[in-house]
Amino acid sequence: MLMNLQFFSKHKGGGSTSNGRDSKAKRLGAKRADGQTVTCGSILYRQRGTHIYPGMNVKIGGDDTLFATTAGVVKFERKGRDKKKVSVYPTAE
Amino acid sequence: MIKTRFLYNDNAFCGFLLKGHADSGEYGYDIVCAAVSVLAINTVNSLEQLALVKPQVISDEKNGGFLKVNVNLDQANDSPVQLLLNSFELGMRSIADNYQDYITIEDE
Repeated sequence: MLMNLQFFSKHKGGGSTSNGRDSKAKRLGAKRADGQTVTCGSILYRQRGTHIYPGMNVKIGGDDTLFATTAGVVKFERKGRDKKKVSVYPTAE
Repeated sequence: MIKTRFLYNDNAFCGFLLKGHADSGEYGYDIVCAAVSVLAINTVNSLEQLALVKPQVISDEKNGGFLKVNVNLDQANDSPVQLLLNSFELGMRSIADNYQDYITIEDE
């Protein structure tokens, strides 16, 4: 009889799984805090889809990134009942 | 869980039956399975090559986890055969004493 040391082991052959892959982390989320002063063009929020909407002086890029269109102070605000937006309010010179 | 039964014929110890998988670890790391496998398979090979008897062996080669060994009654009482079978029983009881979660012995 063949000396098979795994004769009484369940998973014969130990099939491999098709899992075990993952994409690189994309470091999404807020890049500036509420009340922080930013320059024109600063990226405020990286996202997929619109977790947060663009507000005053903020535009949305092709990958849904929110960025400031003027220098000023960042404000995260509510938008309607259950949404949020981010605005940039120019500081008085 | 590996279920073990020692087989008797007219009060003569003539074989054993092993059913089930140990499941004490991943495939390739299942130490209880390896211990029982070497004990049982070595007993079969020893009966054939050392005691020179031809036991009936029924096993599930594809999936493993099933082995029935039976020696003819007229050969069962040969001393080498009894020595090997009793040695097998001693080994199995020792493993079972220490790894109760993975082996049970059903006495006839």
